[in-house]
Amino acid sequence: MSNLNDAYKQNKVGPIFNGGDVAQAAIEAAEWDNPDKEITIDDKGAYVRISAEQEMIITRESMEEALGRDFQMNEIEIHLGSMAGQIEVTPEQIRFFFEKTL
Amino acid sequence: MYQIPRAEWYDLTRATNWTYSYVTEDEMFPEEMSGARGIPIEEWETYDEPYKVSYPEYVAIQREKDAGAYSVKAALERDAYVDRADPGWISTMIAHYGAIAVNEYAASLAEGRMARFAKAPGNRNMATFGTLDENRHGQIQLFFPHANIKRSRQWDWAHKAMHTNDWASIAARAFFDDIMLCRDAVAVSIMLTFGFETGFTNMQFLGLAADASEAGDHTFASLISSVQTDEARHAQQGGPSLKILIANGHKEEAQKLVDVSIWRAWKLFSVLTGPIMDYYTPLEHRSQSFKEFMVEWIIIQFERQLADLGLDAPWFWDDLVNDLDVTHHGMHLGVWYWRPTVWWNPAAGASPEDREWLEEKYPGWNKTWGKCWDVITDNLNNGREDLTLPETLPYVCNMCQLPIVGTPGNEWNVQDFPLEFEGRLYHFGSKADRWCFEQDPERYKEHQNLIDRFLAGEIQPADLPGALAYMGLGPGEMGKDAHDYAWAEAFKKQAEVA
Repeated sequence: MSNLNDAYKQNKVGPIFNGGDVAQAAIEAAEWDNPDKEITIDDKGAYVRISAEQEMIITRESMEEALGRDFQMNEIEIHLGSMAGQIEVTPEQIRFFFEKTL
Repeated sequence: MYQIPRAEWYDLTRATNWTYSYVTEDEMFPEEMSGARGIPIEEWETYDEPYKVSYPEYVAIQREKDAGAYSVKAALERDAYVDRADPGWISTMIAHYGAIAVNEYAASLAEGRMARFAKAPGNRNMATFGTLDENRHGQIQLFFPHANIKRSRQWDWAHKAMHTNDWASIAARAFFDDIMLCRDAVAVSIMLTFGFETGFTNMQFLGLAADASEAGDHTFASLISSVQTDEARHAQQGGPSLKILIANGHKEEAQKLVDVSIWRAWKLFSVLTGPIMDYYTPLEHRSQSFKEFMVEWIIIQFERQLADLGLDAPWFWDDLVNDLDVTHHGMHLGVWYWRPTVWWNPAAGASPEDREWLEEKYPGWNKTWGKCWDVITDNLNNGREDLTLPETLPYVCNMCQLPIVGTPGNEWNVQDFPLEFEGRLYHFGSKADRWCFEQDPERYKEHQNLIDRFLAGEIQPADLPGALAYMGLGPGEMGKDAHDYAWAEAFKKQAEVA
């Protein structure tokens, strides 16, 4: 963090969960749904930051696979404490993204 | 029974603007409440909320959230964590509840303003849920501390604080009233939901939850992180408003609304969250320093979001980055010194081990802030507690309502930023505080800070006991050192060993 004034010039996006089985499932789902991306996990105890460069998609199908049960995409809100990037939620997927690349 | 998927009916059912026949559009949406800024209603109808929810879905999800937080509380109640928690952590909770709980109800009113007066149907729909969210936050953050009233009267300040003229309450109200209660619907969506909730609430509700979890306080951790899941949804109301303002030639004003909100939030957090994270939370449970949390959530995450939506970094960004090393240390020293004037027991956080940590996180701490704590420590160890207690009041800023602070030591640099407006002399703690005032003097000019009230004779008798009575602080409520000076004793023992 040598130059904090420019520290925001990065493109990491993704959800921040406050725990729960949904967070663990989302880590798996993020790996499956974004096969070309490196998914990084930063576990702070009370919250877990899941990140990828520029865009990350998590699908309902992968969440169901990871959880082993039915899952409605908006259930993700129960443990979604914050997010990096803009979001777009449809019944089939949640997408975190930046429009610009810095 | 077959249910049509939400995506197939949502856009149609939330298109709730219609052609008015009994009233005009201006009567339906008065400008002072709606804040459309001359942008045609058709443009506001393009507002596309990124987070779409139906009422049945909302209820089902919220039920799950409440069940989670309340069941953690119920399961751990018999554990009586509060009885064995470090006094510094108790102070963290008591300060938090007093500063936040009742303001959540105010936030519910702000959401209500958008739910009624926003010209964008999508905003109205989301704000309806936001109103219910904030009502939940008010209730849950009054209910949890209520269980502890039997332990100390200070817990009652969860409800009492915002109904008093305590200086910290005046500061919190001045900020929240400005961004939530005294703005039009569009400004609320930007200043409250974007400026404050996309940015700063992460500090208090997720950053602090990390400390709570480290401290073993799982009830508080699950409560505040549950609150933040609502924020994560309804904070999305500001982004679409910003996009519409920018697309219609109002970028400069959008930027100004965001900048005022960020600066004012920063100042409030420098007195509330800064001391909690770097001084009150027991050393072994501090997961990161306040500065590190600020860098993570505000300097990196929030600023990046601003850039993506087409806004610039606020003009005071360099000042804010520099202030991360200093402001909250000054605020903490002031709060501890004026400890009888707050409803919690400030933890000094200045033991030999604490100071080592502070020096590591904030190089130079010992030769600046440390010098003040040296004097305080000596006075305490020489039996002169009286010299560590206040007799007067500090000068406070006419914008943030907080003490005007500088960095002590050889380069003592406290500075007043004065402004004369319509014959009245105002004092500000920074260039940015003064700038906020200059953007809208009519809004702020009548406000009297605590010292203005003191000098005007509103506080009688005009001395510290009179001020304490004015602030509503009774016996058993006024703050004292959280650890009864045990931290200073450690220096005495060190000296004896040497």
